[in-house]
Amino acid sequence: MLYKKKLPLLIFLVPGLLLMVLFLYKPFVENIFNSFYDMTSVVKMPGQEWKFIGLENYKRLFQDTKVRIAILNSLKMMLLSIVFQVGIAFLLAVLVSKIGRGQHIFRTVYFFPIVISASAIGLMFKLFYNYNGGMLNQIMAALGKEPINWLSPDKAFSMISIPIIWSYVGFYFVIILTGLNAISDELYEAASIDGCSNFKQVFYITIPMVRGVMCSCITLAVTGALKVFDLPWVIVPKGAPQGVTHFLGTYMYEQTFTISNIDYGSTLAFLIVVLGVIVSKVVSVLIKPDKNLQ
Amino acid sequence: MRKVKRLVYLVLTVVFMMSLLAACKKSDVKETAKTKQETKDDGGTKKNESKQETKAESDKQNPVTLRTVSMHGGTDPNAANYQELNKKFMSDYPYITIEDDSQTSDQDWKTRIAADFAVGNEPDVIQFFTDSNASDVLAADKFVTVAEIKAEYPDYAKDTLPAALEAAANPDGVQRAVPTTGYWEGLFCNKDLFDKYGLELPTDWDKMLKAIETFKENDIIPIAVSLNAVPHYWIEFLMLAAAGPEGYTTVPQSTPEDWAKGLEVFKTLRDLGAFPVDTDTIDNDFAGELFKNKQAAMQLDGSWYTGGIPDQDNTVVVSFPVIPGGKAEAGFMVGGLSSGFYITKKAWNDPDKRDAAVKFVMTHTCSEAVQKYWNGNGTAAAKVEPLADMTPLGISGLNYSSAATSISTPTDARIKQEAYNTLIAGIVDVSTGARTPADLIDEVLQINGK
Amino acid sequence: MPEINKKKKKVKVSTILIYIILSLWGITTVFPFAWVINNSFKPSREVVNSSFLLPIDFTLQNYVKAFDNLNILEAYKNSLIISGSVTIAVMILSSMIAFAMTRYKFRGKEFIHSLIIASLMFPVFSTIIPVFKMMSLANLLNNPLSVIIPQVAGNLSFASVIMMGYLSGLPIELEEAAYMEGANVRQVFTRIIVPLCKPSLATVGIFCFLWSYNDLFTQLIMIRRRPKFPICALLNEISSKYGTDYGLMASSIVIIIIPVLIVYICLQKNIIKGLTAGAIKG
Repeated sequence: MLYKKKLPLLIFLVPGLLLMVLFLYKPFVENIFNSFYDMTSVVKMPGQEWKFIGLENYKRLFQDTKVRIAILNSLKMMLLSIVFQVGIAFLLAVLVSKIGRGQHIFRTVYFFPIVISASAIGLMFKLFYNYNGGMLNQIMAALGKEPINWLSPDKAFSMISIPIIWSYVGFYFVIILTGLNAISDELYEAASIDGCSNFKQVFYITIPMVRGVMCSCITLAVTGALKVFDLPWVIVPKGAPQGVTHFLGTYMYEQTFTISNIDYGSTLAFLIVVLGVIVSKVVSVLIKPDKNLQ
Repeated sequence: MRKVKRLVYLVLTVVFMMSLLAACKKSDVKETAKTKQETKDDGGTKKNESKQETKAESDKQNPVTLRTVSMHGGTDPNAANYQELNKKFMSDYPYITIEDDSQTSDQDWKTRIAADFAVGNEPDVIQFFTDSNASDVLAADKFVTVAEIKAEYPDYAKDTLPAALEAAANPDGVQRAVPTTGYWEGLFCNKDLFDKYGLELPTDWDKMLKAIETFKENDIIPIAVSLNAVPHYWIEFLMLAAAGPEGYTTVPQSTPEDWAKGLEVFKTLRDLGAFPVDTDTIDNDFAGELFKNKQAAMQLDGSWYTGGIPDQDNTVVVSFPVIPGGKAEAGFMVGGLSSGFYITKKAWNDPDKRDAAVKFVMTHTCSEAVQKYWNGNGTAAAKVEPLADMTPLGISGLNYSSAATSISTPTDARIKQEAYNTLIAGIVDVSTGARTPADLIDEVLQINGK
Repeated sequence: MPEINKKKKKVKVSTILIYIILSLWGITTVFPFAWVINNSFKPSREVVNSSFLLPIDFTLQNYVKAFDNLNILEAYKNSLIISGSVTIAVMILSSMIAFAMTRYKFRGKEFIHSLIIASLMFPVFSTIIPVFKMMSLANLLNNPLSVIIPQVAGNLSFASVIMMGYLSGLPIELEEAAYMEGANVRQVFTRIIVPLCKPSLATVGIFCFLWSYNDLFTQLIMIRRRPKFPICALLNEISSKYGTDYGLMASSIVIIIIPVLIVYICLQKNIIKGLTAGAIKG
């Protein structure tokens, strides 16, 4: 009954939505329109005309093998993100919430990889993987083994997934921990008095209680995986080696900024959003985020 | 543990607060002395002496702020020279303030400049590309032609050689930019490595193959190159070697066999193991390090690369060998003159800025300035004095470029950027054999013809 | 939890195991941080050749170079103005959106929900150019607002998703009780919802600050005048100026990180406070 009147709703909703419409949706729709033209530069110069090419870019989308690689890699990344990023983060968050001493130390320390910019982490991993004198090959040499090309086409995808997953665990860790803290201690106390083991508590109390938060995490992980861009771009630019590490984000950036095929880049951006909406719909159907809504 | 953390936290906060306070105070001073801000990089102390001489003149003038942009930013070897000339300029004309925004000319930067021109945020003077790299910006039609400026300021570009001015004309044949220096590209060799293994410098293709083979056996990388990041020089030289200057500089409608034959060499070289193992992933900088550290024997690069090589005594520049069946005459070279100073219509139509902009360009393009910019590297667009104290590598470069039998501008001066970038992006696949050169060139030409 | 531990007195094996697991992950996250700090005290050549050793030839030169060449304090100020405003604006707007979306039933709710989710996916590169045009028409280029507004819009969808997730988990009873006692919607929002959301607001705040602060792309496009450069843009310039000077890069990274760490340490206290503010108990 509190929420029967609709006037406050407008006041709460409109300012934020207006900003989003003006600065996200309007430009994005413009972007979609652009994908039907052959753009010669990022912005239309005064007096310049772009040729209308209709659906040509969309046709190309279906023939482009690199798009296929990129979609496949992005889907793989989604799965890896859900399982490892959110999984590890959940585990760590539960463990941290169980301990008494040193909580705040772990809380601070786990956050470090997010604070350090992607270019720094990328540089570091480049120095790890470097064939001539990189850290891993220094270790191999110390062990008396032949140097390995860590970024060869068959290993590159796994090698690039490691830093991507690792650097974002802290992000989900913080979010999940926040959710865990909202669960009252008494619930756990009551459960342990009733003889419920720690392990069972996680299943019967923790998971149901942080369901909403976990759903946001999964949505973010899935959409984040679609947008993955900066780390791969620094470590293996342009889908190197031989295009096997292309993600939708990096492929779009390559088309837009290094090849300057801006209209095709816009097409890819549209594809990313469409895929993202579909996948997150699937996710929300599968896990039904909030009971309060229903 | 906890105490330590608290202490660190406290110290960080105090430092930070102090820095904020200092920043606020400083900013007040800054507002009043904007000029100083701009020259801060150079110290800006000697200014006062020359200021007095020109004071009389400056009293008559309205203060002018000139927005300038150049490609002499970042790691550009001429960045310091450019800043120095700006400093001198501001002390000569104290009523003019320069707001300079110079950057390394990468793709992102070009995009930003194009966006500026499109929305009317263009600078007053810009040093920019003159070939088809500039086509975005040229389409906005915002530059004044040299002829127009000369009509009012007969001394404009007076030191610039007519041939250089001609070379810096835009693709439509109109002269808008005043150039300073040109460049050449050539094959850098670590001569000491060649001597060590009793090899001859790769002046013909057999010697090249022999060198690759020998180096390979001795665990030295024959050719330092990042095929993923910067295969540009190799594309140019291989296509030029195969097609000869004429075939290379005409943009055909259908795939020319010669171009494809040139690009096929990528696969030959890769199969021979001439490139680094990680050529698909390595950075251009890392590849450069390999050459500089003597881990690699050869590298193709441009005249701007000369200054950064630590071993100036044992590095030489040689001309690229003709590939088997190639149409080029030995001694061919890629080089050119592809940038210059433009004045925008915005500055030209502003009575105060017009004069300042012209003076600015003249300061940067007179013989003296060109001498500085040139400094033995590449080619000069005005008459210059030969240098007395050149390093052996510098001399080698100079000899190489003056002995060239033909000079051709690179392909990106002739075809659309999008087409050229597609070519670059396809090279790794060509080198592995995943794609035929003809197929790649077909796509490139098709994009170019769109 | 502490009480339970006290009761048992003995340290359990499982507790030790937990600490070991947590520490192992901790090592992987501290390592790069230590690596960056370590390398910031080395000359560049040493970074490339032996980046994993302690500095042989310890030098403060990298920091001196950074502070000499650039007006870092001014840039800190610019960054704080921008990222601070973005953070505050996003915190306010996103909690409002989340409140409306989780507490109200209305037509088109599903639609708006998908709008918010979809905008999560918008790559900055594809929206920035039109926004740039708008800003230049409004004559706002080089003004901090030209960075603040697009960043608020860009971070809002993420923040709303987080806030909605958290709010939907809060039981509605408390609000209804307040309503019974005569509180109106505004009061419910400011007196009940906002305090309850503190922990997740802090989370949102941290990430917005971080992203806004590190978002070099928008900063470079909108702000062209050097005195107005935020810290990341300024240090990006230095790294392009000195090319592969990795020592200098490492020291710039340290300079960039300090304020973010301060903000994180400040805000994370609130995340813990959320624990005691678990007023849902009653």
